[in-house]
Amino acid sequence: MRYFEAMTRGLFVSILFFTTSLLAAPAKVKFNRDVRPILSDKCFFCHGPDPKKREADLRLDMRDEALAAKAFVPDKAEMSELIQRIVTTDEDDHMPPAKSKLGDLTAAEIAILKQWIDEGAEYEAHWSFIPLKPEATKDQSIDKIVSAGLAERGLKLQPEATPETLIRRISFDLTGLPPTPEEVTGFVTEHQFDPVSSIDHLVTRLLASPHYGERMAVDWLDMARYADSYGFQVDREREVWPWRDWVVKAFNDNLPYDKFVTWQLAGDLLPNATDEQILATAFNRLHQQENEGGSVEEEYRVEYIADRVQTVATAFLGLTFECSRCHDHKYDPITQKDYYGLFSMLQNIDEAGLYSFFTPSPPTPAMMLMDQPAKDKMAALKAKVADLEKPKSSLPPDLSRGELAHFTFDELKGNKLTDSLHPPPAPQPKQETKSKDAKKDKAPPDPAAVLKGENKLVSGKIGNAIQFTGDDAVDTPLGNFQRHEPFSISLWMQTPDVKDRAVVFHRSQAWTDAASRGYELLIEEGKLKWSLIHFWPGNAISIRTKENIPLKQWLQVIVTYDGSSRADGLKIFLDGKQAAVEVIKDNLTKTIAGGGHDNISLGERMRDRGFKGGLIDDFRVFGRDVTQETNADLQKARAELYAFQDAQKELMVMKELPQPKKAYVLTRGEYDKRGEEVGPQTPAVLSPFPKGAPKNRLGYAQWLTAPEHPLMARVTVNRLWQSLFGRGLVKTTEDFGSQGERPLYPELLDYLAMKFIQSGWDVKSLVKEIVTSQVYRQRSIADAKTMADDSDNQWLARGPHFRLPAEMIRDNALAASGLIKLAMGGPPVHSYEMTEAFKPVNPGGGDAVYRRSIYSNWRRTSPPPAMVAFDAPRRAVCISRRERTDSPLQALILLNGVQYVEAARVLGEKLYLEAKGDLPKMIELGFLRCLSRKPDAKEVQICTQLYQEQLAHFKAQPKEAEKLLKTGNAKRDASIPPAEASAAAVLAQTLLNHDACIVKR
Amino acid sequence: MNAPLYSRREMLARAGGGFGMLAFASMLEAASNPFAPKVPMQVGGKAKSIIWIFTNGGPSQVDTWDYKPELAKRDGQTLEGFDPKTGFFPGSVGGLMKSPFEFKQYGESGTWCSDLFPKTAMHVDKMSFIHSCWTGSNNHSPALFMINTGTTRMGYPCVGSWVTYGLGSESDSLPSFVVMTDPLNRGLPKGSASNWGSGFLPSVFQGTWLKPSGAPIDNLAVPASLTPQRQRAQLDLLAKLNRNALHGSAIESELNARIESFELAYRMQTAAPDAFEVKNEPKHIQKMYGLNEKHCGHFAAQCLTARRMVERGVRFIQLYSGGMENQQSWDGHKDILGNHRGFANESDQPVAALISDLEQRGLLDQTLIVWGGEFGRLPIAQKGDKPGRDHNPHAFTVWMCGGGVKGGYHHGESDEIGFKAAIDKVSVHDLHATILAAAGLDHEQLTFKFQGLDQRLTGVENPKVVKQVFA
Repeated sequence: MRYFEAMTRGLFVSILFFTTSLLAAPAKVKFNRDVRPILSDKCFFCHGPDPKKREADLRLDMRDEALAAKAFVPDKAEMSELIQRIVTTDEDDHMPPAKSKLGDLTAAEIAILKQWIDEGAEYEAHWSFIPLKPEATKDQSIDKIVSAGLAERGLKLQPEATPETLIRRISFDLTGLPPTPEEVTGFVTEHQFDPVSSIDHLVTRLLASPHYGERMAVDWLDMARYADSYGFQVDREREVWPWRDWVVKAFNDNLPYDKFVTWQLAGDLLPNATDEQILATAFNRLHQQENEGGSVEEEYRVEYIADRVQTVATAFLGLTFECSRCHDHKYDPITQKDYYGLFSMLQNIDEAGLYSFFTPSPPTPAMMLMDQPAKDKMAALKAKVADLEKPKSSLPPDLSRGELAHFTFDELKGNKLTDSLHPPPAPQPKQETKSKDAKKDKAPPDPAAVLKGENKLVSGKIGNAIQFTGDDAVDTPLGNFQRHEPFSISLWMQTPDVKDRAVVFHRSQAWTDAASRGYELLIEEGKLKWSLIHFWPGNAISIRTKENIPLKQWLQVIVTYDGSSRADGLKIFLDGKQAAVEVIKDNLTKTIAGGGHDNISLGERMRDRGFKGGLIDDFRVFGRDVTQETNADLQKARAELYAFQDAQKELMVMKELPQPKKAYVLTRGEYDKRGEEVGPQTPAVLSPFPKGAPKNRLGYAQWLTAPEHPLMARVTVNRLWQSLFGRGLVKTTEDFGSQGERPLYPELLDYLAMKFIQSGWDVKSLVKEIVTSQVYRQRSIADAKTMADDSDNQWLARGPHFRLPAEMIRDNALAASGLIKLAMGGPPVHSYEMTEAFKPVNPGGGDAVYRRSIYSNWRRTSPPPAMVAFDAPRRAVCISRRERTDSPLQALILLNGVQYVEAARVLGEKLYLEAKGDLPKMIELGFLRCLSRKPDAKEVQICTQLYQEQLAHFKAQPKEAEKLLKTGNAKRDASIPPAEASAAAVLAQTLLNHDACIVKR
Repeated sequence: MNAPLYSRREMLARAGGGFGMLAFASMLEAASNPFAPKVPMQVGGKAKSIIWIFTNGGPSQVDTWDYKPELAKRDGQTLEGFDPKTGFFPGSVGGLMKSPFEFKQYGESGTWCSDLFPKTAMHVDKMSFIHSCWTGSNNHSPALFMINTGTTRMGYPCVGSWVTYGLGSESDSLPSFVVMTDPLNRGLPKGSASNWGSGFLPSVFQGTWLKPSGAPIDNLAVPASLTPQRQRAQLDLLAKLNRNALHGSAIESELNARIESFELAYRMQTAAPDAFEVKNEPKHIQKMYGLNEKHCGHFAAQCLTARRMVERGVRFIQLYSGGMENQQSWDGHKDILGNHRGFANESDQPVAALISDLEQRGLLDQTLIVWGGEFGRLPIAQKGDKPGRDHNPHAFTVWMCGGGVKGGYHHGESDEIGFKAAIDKVSVHDLHATILAAAGLDHEQLTFKFQGLDQRLTGVENPKVVKQVFA
């Protein structure tokens, strides 16, 4: 109401400034096609979904609300405020206001809005949110839809590309590799006889090739922000390649796409989840991770989950969810609660916000990667341990045996505190000669503890005690226990206040910087917490007293461990009585040793909170569980089991916590500004959450893959289209919201999406349908006008052509030269380019430099420059669309880069040998290898000239030839004269740089 | 003659004119009318090129350009209420420490400068000083990312990328944005290439790092045996081959663009090494920069290269003074006297010469020089054998010169001991907005769509251009 009144103050503008008849207005305005883009660009920012930005209480994205605010009068554009406010010249009333910097509407846009209101001002749901209809596939095909669209423009499909072009196009699209000359010849021959079945055979053959999976995986690695390093500043390398190999395999096995998605999102939550299904969930952990000292753990944990949200939303919804991290989305109906609703489902794992600086273990949760023999052996070792484990018989602590050290803290000598069991050695006579070795070998370890900093001796329970500053430790010289070794520690302690967190003693290098690897006794929220840790929080055992410990009074504490790697093997005794405890963590499967700082320290730890003002007295270390008899056989069996466990490699994956973590709306997206609590939820505008589905990642996957879901299938087929055509049917593959592009062929998108669902999410069949269509098979050149009017081929009036992506550029040169090594999978390798990388790395020896590009080591701070120059993303975040730039740096790489010069050199030799030095034959073979076709007479003539010129030169300058032939690791074939080999290399290089070699046509 | 087959926009988008054209094309693509000026000139300077002398490690404002007599008076006193975590070493907090350098006034503006820069100080009447800069982090990496990219996290486009994205390049044979780092083996600024990365902007806008030793640009060197003449012959025939296949077809002009990108690469092979050939400069110029002086020759070569690049149309040049951290750069934790004396000695004469040289060639008016690092240093001592100063995010001084910037002007003030920016505070985003303005770019209009947002260098908090620095 206020809005209406405010408007009536303005001038009543009743004059049309132009006549609509002059403009080519569409027959009937369609809201989504014609109106929504205008409203979205010019109005929604202040009059859209975000209530915080909303002006004058008016929202124009919902008809009821707009009507209630009297923004327009259906059928009467002239009387509608909306139009008046747009056309008025009164600066105070004019929309959009000048200060918004949105710019005025054009005459054509105003005409559309008027016509829309005059036609009743009907709304449509945003096109991509309307559910798919099964009829979308009825009597339809790719070719029918596009042909009909072209006919409206007076155009038709181009004729089919030549068979030579087609096999090259299809081979790259399906395997990322060029066809061999033999494949070309075979196909061309078959095509002459039966074009249709020849293409069918070709596609069937290529889809069955193991290299299909490699080619498809590259796109998915961009989405999954796959990299072989953690990223951020420190960017340490990490082993996640088993997940990459799984992706290749999943495509090759043609794993139905709904399963492909479900396994990656929630494989761990499937009933009786297989190793493969759990491994797939590493997808959620591939985001960048931080370990820089002093970083706030929770801040980065929140960043990780925000990254998961963004990746899931981009990959499966095609929505810019990240806009809703700080506020409701300004253009799309996604609330901030929706954002944190998804966030809440993606955070329920036992993870830390920082990975460890001092230990190389992958962050938890992680799975052990074991083959069947390893699993069998593990089971046998576990059975052996189980056999030896007897029912618990807990005795009262017996401190009379097995003592390793006893610090009374009664007397300070210098900074030394004597171990009463091991009095200091007699002073050594001064050695005359001080050789390094003598010092290392002969000096006995000093058994005393060392008091550091301002810690001081005060009167204690028995004699003196240490009073801690909280900033300085007392270091003992012992305590590097393994987890198969039972041990116990006894001490007297006194805390001056209720500590939120304080380190009483520990054996570890640091807190988050070492993932707390080791063991520790802490005060946490006033209670005592006793833990053995491989990687906090996901791989540890930990118990905590149920009651707060008393303040300002002496307390005798005994903590014990029985060697079992289980929480029930930990005990806390307070003043001789076993304390009631709760189990905090009970999953220890890897070593507690390592990381450095192999001795017990008291009262302080690196970048942790110390025992400020606390007192410790009479500190005793025992090499046994003081509440049990030691069983040597059991300890030996455990040692074997644990050693085997420690040797297994791990991969970080998802493992749902039994109790979901609480999630909150974070004000302005900041980790420490928690607002309202939220549970799992999905945007109301999309299909409902399936009935009975669990409210977790698995339910979310079920929601995504339900046929009612309007986005998942559309977004997926659109990306595949982009991969084949260089441009999606919706260009903004990452944004299907109102700021994204609206497809020119929505029927085609819906047809493909529905077909995909109806096929059981069969990716290979979808690929086959597209690449066998006439639309795909067209020649890629149309008439000049069409090409100029439709430069990025949105109309589909011609076949696809674009410069090959980075990986294919390199793989092509390797394949054409025959250098390529097609071994699949395994750890990443260092290619030549890495030596040019910012942080130089030596190229791998042997086959490493000839492996396919998907296996190149991908370090986020310095990805292979030759890949980045060709627009491969850095893989810091999910990327669904690569930029496509042309730059002279690319030309420099192709002309001068070692990889490419070597490929040319080797290809030159190959041509020379195969043609036995016959030049025309060499040229023809070169064309077949590099361009998949034969040269014409003119081309033979040009190449002949090139070869002859170069040959003459190299004959005159043999030293230059020798130098050229030394490029790269591959040995040269000495049977070819250097001048000939060099001239052949230049010929090959020229062909490798031919337009038709680096552009898919 | 055939009618043009492609619009100019298409031609450009297909890489026609090299780096600059690419930048320009990307800009046009975003605008609804391809020829509408996307970036109106509203306020600011007339810089066509920018040279950022990046004093890496964080030089001390109170020992360089921010004269604080009060600090000398309070020498040795405890700074009450000081939070020991302001710097990086909370355990080494000392008392207030007067500058160990002598200050005197220079120029008609009477600008106070320490004796660290006797030669550069001769130019104070051409400089605008901003004494009230502050930043958000006291740690090198995040502060470097902040001053270079406007955010403390890595992976965002840096100032140089934004400028070249906005303006393109005027060079047809050199990269539009180059970065030079310490050639004396003292390392790279922390975070290395992330400081000159293009983030979400297309990769053509990333800084080209000129390797301090060996060939400055990767793959620039023609393979040992292929002399430029013969590569020339090869390229000619390659162009012929390409044209033969597609002659007369509708993609001929696209092909021409590709051929041109090879031509540009070819030109770079000669032009780039030529730009580095500072030894070709006349003797008196070499002498002016101190090219053959032991104490400053390395930095002189870089400053001279910078001038040669400006002449060749390079848009943005970032020149790091100092290597990594601690004693490798201006990071004077220990011995502020020795540390700053050393790095000032390396750079004073070359920087002064650069200003004079640009001026005598009439280039100073169209070249903005920025001098500054990632943060400042504390007015209190960092305790040690020879006292140093710890990091201070609360105040630092940046000066600008040329490119339409006022002379002898001082903007903003730090407090009386130089601890915190006090009057007319200038955030890093304000500073970025000002640098963009110096190049005629409106920081609010210079946007790139990423993750559903119109991203910009200067964030969403409405930073302000320091208009006062422009004449």
